[in-house]
Amino acid sequence: MSVTSIMIAGVGGQGLVLATRIVASVALAEGCDVKTGDVVGLAQRGGMVWGSVRFGEVVHSPLIPAGSGDFMLAMEALEGLRWAHLLKPGATVLLNNYSIFPNRVLLEKDVYPEDVPGLLKARGLETVSIDAETMAEEMGNRKLANTILLGALSASLPFPVKTWQGVISENVPPKTVELNLKAFDAGRDAATSDNH
Amino acid sequence: MQKVVMSGNQAVARGFWEAGGVVAASYPGSPTVEILESVKAYKEIYSHWAMNEKIALEIAMGSSMAGGRAMASMKHVGLNIAADPFMTFTQTKTNGGFVLVVGDDPGLSSSQNEQDTRVYARFANVALLEPSTPQEAKDFVKLGLSLSEENGTPVIIRLTSNLCHSRGVVALSEREEKDIPGFVKDQPRYNMLPPHANRQQIFMHERVLKLQGYAEESPLNVLVPREGSDTLLVTSSLPYCYLMELKPEASVLKLGMTFPLPVQKIRQLSHNYRQTIVIEELVPLVEQELKAAGIAVKGKDYFPFTGELTTDVIRAGLIQAEVECSAPQATVEPSSSPRRTPMLCAGCPHRPIFDVLREADVTVIGDIGCYSLGILEPFEVLNTVISMGASLGMIQGVAKAHRYADKVRPLVATIGDGTFFHSGLSGFADLARTEENITIIVLDNRTTAMTGGQSTPTTRDYLKDESLYGMSIAEILVAFGIRDVQEIDQFHLSKTRRVISEAMERDGLSVIIAKRPCALNFKVVNPHFFVDPEVCIGCRRCIQVNCPPISMHTYPGIDDSKSFIDPKMCVGCSVCSQVCPVKAIKSSALLKKGGGSK
Ligand SMILES: Cc1ncc(C[n+]2csc(CCOP(=O)(O)OP(=O)(O)O)c2C)c(N)n1
Repeated sequence: MSVTSIMIAGVGGQGLVLATRIVASVALAEGCDVKTGDVVGLAQRGGMVWGSVRFGEVVHSPLIPAGSGDFMLAMEALEGLRWAHLLKPGATVLLNNYSIFPNRVLLEKDVYPEDVPGLLKARGLETVSIDAETMAEEMGNRKLANTILLGALSASLPFPVKTWQGVISENVPPKTVELNLKAFDAGRDAATSDNH
Repeated sequence: MQKVVMSGNQAVARGFWEAGGVVAASYPGSPTVEILESVKAYKEIYSHWAMNEKIALEIAMGSSMAGGRAMASMKHVGLNIAADPFMTFTQTKTNGGFVLVVGDDPGLSSSQNEQDTRVYARFANVALLEPSTPQEAKDFVKLGLSLSEENGTPVIIRLTSNLCHSRGVVALSEREEKDIPGFVKDQPRYNMLPPHANRQQIFMHERVLKLQGYAEESPLNVLVPREGSDTLLVTSSLPYCYLMELKPEASVLKLGMTFPLPVQKIRQLSHNYRQTIVIEELVPLVEQELKAAGIAVKGKDYFPFTGELTTDVIRAGLIQAEVECSAPQATVEPSSSPRRTPMLCAGCPHRPIFDVLREADVTVIGDIGCYSLGILEPFEVLNTVISMGASLGMIQGVAKAHRYADKVRPLVATIGDGTFFHSGLSGFADLARTEENITIIVLDNRTTAMTGGQSTPTTRDYLKDESLYGMSIAEILVAFGIRDVQEIDQFHLSKTRRVISEAMERDGLSVIIAKRPCALNFKVVNPHFFVDPEVCIGCRRCIQVNCPPISMHTYPGIDDSKSFIDPKMCVGCSVCSQVCPVKAIKSSALLKKGGGSK
């Protein structure tokens, strides 16, 4: 089994570390070797954050060398674009249709890129856009957005739904388990029904 | 045997628990914060966030002297604070196992410098272990505690930020309790004065020789041979993992212990190869040590001395050294995306202070905390960021140089409550009698925000939690004999402006304590504010207070762009509404009360 590499990109405060941990735990539960990398620290104050998850029979390193990633889960559009060079041609991006303006955009010194999905497709990447924020709000809790995105990612990975459900249940507050499982299903459906 | 996914930091905590550790102390700093936070889950261990790294190390040192296995953890610059006790403690023959876990930060992702802790190992005559995976992080902590007891030495476990935060599969074991004999009086052992301290120089010298003998034979230092290759790569830590992935045409010697080095082993091995190349992050420590021993090696000719050595960086160096890698190389160009720098959170209590200081146009000596972000645009208010607590001494020096040059003018420094208790107390005692015009603003947000919100001695005042220390910075300063001390609510902007400008006019030391709590840590949320685009004149004054929810926006039916507040991000601190010259920004609470009255 060769190594599968998933890049997870977002902005400080979006809950990226938990998402990374969940994907890693699912891979371990399915008998894979797994390594992850995270950037945390100063970046938490609204800076860029990223995580990587790599699984396979033997995984040596947590880092994804440029041009070798298989999937990306982009919690924020610009951050998806920023890390696109880590992916191999034809790789799949699950893109949260959501923008958080960086400081220089707020100050009108930089322009936020228009049509990020188009820019990603132009790089030869399969791009699945998900309105996770809107979906989460409709389900009554904005914090569900990440679980929706994990559901979307799960559709591309070789792990049984049951395992995902088990790991998610262990990692979210007990009161929110049912809602999170619903959000997971919704994300999975959104990724599979939506053929781009 | 149970297997779990753990970060390097969590694995360190687990290793300490399995090894029967009893006392763990730390001071928060990236990348090692999570170590002590993870230790807290193990009830057998006494865990302690100390006021600074020196105290953390001293707590661990005491436990070790009493025979209890101990761990101190800190970020790399923390060891500078703890170096004084450490450099003398190392002279004593260690009793209960003692590990000092230090997190280096190649690439400075969240630090003010890039110092290499391996240098301290040689300086202090102690063994230094470098794990490369979370599993090794756990194993090396256990091994380090045994080495410590067997050789009478403190042991440094050196981590790097990527390893601290990376996760991998870790096999768990059970805890083994150790006998704790208690403190036994032994004057020559613990009283580091002549003649005892003189004798200990020889003890340490012999200890290093013994550890070197161990290094020569130890399975910590392993060769991964490659049939028919003419290159030997010597490496450690995460770069080893990256090399395994790159599969170079070379044999790889992985060092689990980088001080002392297995010099004879490397000398022997190097005879079998055309070239020997050292791949190490930061300073060329191993390279120079081997060169000093007369072994022909290269290293920094091919690999940078600053920043992380990532898979891609190592590959580039190997190509330069004409060592082939069998892993394929990609050629994908990064896209040009706007940078994303960190910024103060919505509702951050530091924001109004920076807004006032920007207008005051004064020289501000900075310190270390979230308020260091005041160096960034659009504030660019802080003029210095050096080390924790440094502002208090520096401001005196600046004032004295100004006086000598006849350039006297008001000076301001900002310092947080965390930094106040870490290393600001003696700085304030020193300032108490100054006659220079100095204004210090203490940003008492009741937490150590930058490192994730650990409590400070002023947290209790906000949380009303009796289990915490309850100290008042104002009372402490008054007890120091400082008379000009005021507390303010900085969300009252005009008053804050007046208090700061009056303090700047008064001679002598003035201290202003800004009391608003950290909005992020204490989840302070009030009804959001909104912009009335019909009233907004598009002057961008609110944009200049630089809050994540505020941006310029095109409203339907309005030609010019007007400002806009994202209601999902706004936490209702009101600062933007106070700077608006035309009162276009209002609280949504008014709407709900009916009518949006002006
Ligand atoms: C010697 C040292 N130890 C630890 C750190 C990590 N660190 C960065 S900022 C900070 C403390 C910030 O607390 P405070 O002064 O209260 O400011 P806040 O972040 O709450 O605004 C710490 C501990 C450091 N930079 N240097």
